[in-house]
Amino acid sequence: MTVFKTFLKVLNKCKAPLILYTVILIFFGGFSLKTNEVNTSFNAYLPDVYINNLDENAKITENFMTYLKKVSNVVLLDEEDISDALFYRDINIAITIPEGFNRDFFLGRKPKLEIQCTGDYASSLVNIYIEKYMQVANTYRVLASSEEELLRLINGNLDLKTNVYLKTSLDTEAMSKATTYFNFTNYCILAGCIFGVCFSLFSFKQKNIDDRIRISKINYKKYLMQLFLSTFVFAFFLWLLYVLLGFVLVGKIMFTYHGLIYIVNLFLFTLCALSIAFFLNQVILNKDTINGIVNVIALGSSFLCGAFVPVQFLPDFVLKIARILPSYWFIHVNELTTSLEKINLITLKPIWQSMLVLSLFTCFFFLMSLYVKKRN
Amino acid sequence: MKKVIEVEHLTKKYKDFIAVSDLSFDVEEGEVLGLLGPNGSGKSTTINCLLSLLNYEDGIIKILGQVMSSTNYDVKKDIGVIFQDIAVFEELTVYENIDYFCGLYIEDKQLRKEYVIEAIKLVGLEDFQKFYPKQLSGGLLRRLNIACGIAHKPKIIFLDEPTVAVDPQSRENILAGILNLRKKGATILYTTHYMEEVEMICDRVIILDKGKIIASGSPLELKNLAKIEEKVTIEDISLKKTDLEKIKSLKNVEEVSYNKTTLIITYKKGQHNLPLLVEFLKKENLEYQRIFSERPTLNDVFLELTGKELRD
Amino acid sequence: MFKHNFIYTLKILGKNKVLIFWTFAFPIILGTFFFLAFSDIENNEKLDVFPIAIVENDNFNSRMGFKETFEVLSDDNNEDKLFDVSYVLEEDVALEMLENKDIVGYILVLDEPTVVVAKSGINETILQVTTDQILSHEKVLEDYIRKNGNSRLENFVKVMMDDYSYVLDNSNKNMSYTMVEYYTLIAMTCLYGGTLGLTALNQNLANMSQRGKRIEVSPSPKFKVVLSSILASFLISLIGLFLLFLFLVFLLKVDFGLFGGHVVLLAIVGNLAGLAIGVAIASCFKVKEGTKLGILLSVTMLGCFLAGMMGITMKYVVDKNVGWINMINPANLITDGFYSLYYYDTLTRYWWDLLGLLIFIGVMVIVSVLALRRNSYDSI
Repeated sequence: MTVFKTFLKVLNKCKAPLILYTVILIFFGGFSLKTNEVNTSFNAYLPDVYINNLDENAKITENFMTYLKKVSNVVLLDEEDISDALFYRDINIAITIPEGFNRDFFLGRKPKLEIQCTGDYASSLVNIYIEKYMQVANTYRVLASSEEELLRLINGNLDLKTNVYLKTSLDTEAMSKATTYFNFTNYCILAGCIFGVCFSLFSFKQKNIDDRIRISKINYKKYLMQLFLSTFVFAFFLWLLYVLLGFVLVGKIMFTYHGLIYIVNLFLFTLCALSIAFFLNQVILNKDTINGIVNVIALGSSFLCGAFVPVQFLPDFVLKIARILPSYWFIHVNELTTSLEKINLITLKPIWQSMLVLSLFTCFFFLMSLYVKKRN
Repeated sequence: MKKVIEVEHLTKKYKDFIAVSDLSFDVEEGEVLGLLGPNGSGKSTTINCLLSLLNYEDGIIKILGQVMSSTNYDVKKDIGVIFQDIAVFEELTVYENIDYFCGLYIEDKQLRKEYVIEAIKLVGLEDFQKFYPKQLSGGLLRRLNIACGIAHKPKIIFLDEPTVAVDPQSRENILAGILNLRKKGATILYTTHYMEEVEMICDRVIILDKGKIIASGSPLELKNLAKIEEKVTIEDISLKKTDLEKIKSLKNVEEVSYNKTTLIITYKKGQHNLPLLVEFLKKENLEYQRIFSERPTLNDVFLELTGKELRD
Repeated sequence: MFKHNFIYTLKILGKNKVLIFWTFAFPIILGTFFFLAFSDIENNEKLDVFPIAIVENDNFNSRMGFKETFEVLSDDNNEDKLFDVSYVLEEDVALEMLENKDIVGYILVLDEPTVVVAKSGINETILQVTTDQILSHEKVLEDYIRKNGNSRLENFVKVMMDDYSYVLDNSNKNMSYTMVEYYTLIAMTCLYGGTLGLTALNQNLANMSQRGKRIEVSPSPKFKVVLSSILASFLISLIGLFLLFLFLVFLLKVDFGLFGGHVVLLAIVGNLAGLAIGVAIASCFKVKEGTKLGILLSVTMLGCFLAGMMGITMKYVVDKNVGWINMINPANLITDGFYSLYYYDTLTRYWWDLLGLLIFIGVMVIVSVLALRRNSYDSI
């Protein structure tokens, strides 16, 4: 018990970074998991659009704007903010309706609309909408006898929609948010565990303290066991904290089998982080270097394995390299869980296989730390 | 004799706490003055005021005949300071550390090199020139600390408890070094709470308590302030009450204390006391293990003046 | 003396492994992580070919519009190819493919065409838009025939299906927002440079360190020692920044717009701003050196967070809603300066950022001078 108490006291000294990691997690979680409505019907993707009308308020331009409002989010902005809004993807496209557009259209001059876009798929989508509208409008222009008829024909055409069915029982949006949260815990658990354990164990490791303990009446083996249990309790609480936070931030999904997989996976990863911390504790010789090593390892694994950037956005060669890191397998399980429709022995197979790899990493680091300790 | 340091009515307060109160004293050229006092008596504060590191409420401080201020570089170049805490760079070797601090005083490279090597010799770090502070033991580190403060051959040296927590061998070395500096003509202001050191190296001592001077003079003069002159201790002796009475009535005896095995006798006057006592013990057939006589220490003086011990 | 202290300060700082790690190595390591994680993110946002399935039943084959359009859009020789189409005969096969995530969705034409997908997303929307487009063309023809019969139908179809583009694309070519991540990295390095100034100065001050006492009792004028220490730390942090630039420009190929004098000027002024913060913290707070470093690192991380290091959206949101915070945030001023060089054609915004930095430096210098002016202290 004395060992445990001392451990907690030392740990208390380095609580600031631990709190920081948790706050970042809450911030991140709260930021990206805001909406939590159940979504099981198909919704078309709505790009963000800014329209600047330099022409007179003619019916045809108004009708065009009404159409855009149906297929996209029309955003109101100050004109000077447009450049920034485009760069930071607040809008996907800015459309300028040029002066004399209405006149030129009816004269058959096929006037062009000026656009500035981000070049991403959302802006390509708007491009398709614009071309479609203008093509349809231009085609009907020769058919219609009056402006009213023209608008009626255009709208009658554009209102045609294909039926879309969503074939899934999963609330994919909510699931991917849960995955985002648990992927991010990769950083917090790694940084927290390594920092907390290394920092505390370092105090025990100092030569004169270690010697003092060796000559004291405490059984050295027993003492090591107590120290080990203390770190385990610490890691356990870290895990519990992030699971509880998960319940708060993610919500309902946590009560399903999917939630259980997330929780078990996080537990296995916490053990792995603990084993890495043990290993580093054996290797680190200077207390000042702990902070640097923690940052490099935690940030590195998180960036390379997709804790910060979604896995599908990572280059293939990075993902291949990432396989040698335990974080990859932890995040891989989360990703598999996102799209897990039915739970049975066959669908669970890739999940428990990845968990096994993760556990092998844990064993490896434990054995390595024992080996290094023996050799010293 | 020329007065090198003149302090008149120095008063320094930390908010409501008076650290130094109306302190006046002089130090003459070539003198070693000891500032003796328990922890918190105002020794370090006095030194920091003398160096103009601290603002003070009242008083005039003159060094080498000039009013001391933080921008009086003319005076500063003749001062060397060794502070209580180790003040060296971890990133520099022994040689580089001394060279760095010396370089703040001596611009000429060639001269500086000579000075640095001399300082290294003085503190006996010849074999450790390329070592980093981390590789040195506590005592060696103290020596380095001193070398950094005196390499530029200052005329006045302030030493603020340079021997705190030092092993006996290093302490010997440090004290010998200080005596050496004195021989070369340096004026030294030395603060400590080790009275043995003061007795060993100081020409004159000022005893401070609660920021005030409670006594000053040469160590011998101070000891005369104590009412006693000799203290005799007898170990492993067994006495009856009657024996004690008899001892009390011996010539010059001021006080007798006895605690079952050890007997301490203090004498008013310090002449021929021990032979008389030995003779008496022999006559009475009283057996004992060890007997020794001491002159009173400054601690006894301090005890006499303040009613408390120097070291608590 | 000036040179003496300068050279020794270089030596002392250069041998401080922890400081050198944070100012030299860490930015480069973090930059590598950025590169690995972000290098593909923008390519992934472009429209890409994706797999779909079509249930090839009689209804489908009878709708010529559908049959032809999907043939064109899945043709390898077509520049605008959108789909990899698998034709299947039974809906069950398509459904299984959908469940295995082999396809984004499939098309089943019964009385009316139907699209079946597994989730709401951008590719799913594109699939829907494509089928809508076909319906629209069918409708146009239908309307034409109802009005004009079959006369000159071919000519009409030609007009309808021409390649004329109704948009004029004036987009800025420099749209890569991951560049901003690298700019925040430079900002971080500039501010981390302050740790060097902080450490160097701390060693000069009597009320901060024992070594400082020694220096202040020496006959070397304080301002000379302080200035030469600050210059030495500036030189070291500039070297660190230079290495980072070499790494960013030649290895990661980060785009600075037109790399030239403006970039160098901003980097130097930014570095000075970091130094100024470090000096101000060193001279104003009377706490342990470790705590001071902690304050500086926290200020830096917070500044970089607001400047968009952990996601550039943060910078935009702050700029838009609480602009004044980012106007006094040196990390953002540095980031924003590089951003305006990269993205804007005019230099107005760049000069404003630079002015902001200079004002920030001025304030920090005044604060530091006020704190450093004292030569004697009330307590040490």
